[in-house]
Amino acid sequence: MITDKSCAEVRRRLAYPPEKVFAAFAKAEVVTRWLTPSPEIGLTVLQFDFCEGGSYRFAYHVPGASTVIVGGSYRVIKPPSKIVFSWVIEPPDEHAGIQSEVSVAITPDGSGSELVIRHEKLGLTDAINRHAAGWRGAVDQLTQLLAQEDHND
Amino acid sequence: MYSDLALDLTFHALCDGTRRSMIHALANGEIRSAGELGRRFRSAQPTISKHLKVLEEARIVERKVEGRVHQFRLRRKALERASRWIARHQAFWEGAVDQLDRLLAEDAER
Repeated sequence: MITDKSCAEVRRRLAYPPEKVFAAFAKAEVVTRWLTPSPEIGLTVLQFDFCEGGSYRFAYHVPGASTVIVGGSYRVIKPPSKIVFSWVIEPPDEHAGIQSEVSVAITPDGSGSELVIRHEKLGLTDAINRHAAGWRGAVDQLTQLLAQEDHND
Repeated sequence: MYSDLALDLTFHALCDGTRRSMIHALANGEIRSAGELGRRFRSAQPTISKHLKVLEEARIVERKVEGRVHQFRLRRKALERASRWIARHQAFWEGAVDQLDRLLAEDAER
């Protein structure tokens, strides 16, 4: 299979105003009623802290298969138009550990709204930047440690 | 993790229109030279070479050098895992938005 895109994207017009659509993402008891790929797959919300920097953890119960756990944190929350959160599947899973990001955009469209969900794997540049930040942190710690030892001598 | 780096390289390679067109030009198992692949685009030869190098490093294409001619062939394996990830998440969100639409309709009726 040859793909045309390097991300998943869904664009849908909904007959409800942005506030109503946004609210469906904001509460654990509502999320559990729809945020699954099909009605047969149940969702248990293990953790739900809907604020910027807050984390979530969802358990998906696939009939006749093992439970799939997905977690991440909310990076941007701008009611009622924008939500950005990270998305990582936990092991054991074919796609476990792959860092990805979901961007939800809700815009008014007549009496309803247009919902656009883009799900992208974080690219090589992000991976390099993350590692670079990690190394910078390590180098800072090493410098501090060496300074302390120097002081002790 | 090696496999994650490999996947990063695949996604990075796919994240460009010219490179996706090159993949399409090789999709049926054809073997094409750098010149043939380059002729489809209005880019300078060094740009084409750069794109082919990215595809080669992501192990999406295989290069065979015959004299002065560089031949390219598609390797499907690198694309498979990335394709499955995209397809899985595409299906996830399509299904979820269907359910959201129904839920909003139910709540509006009450």
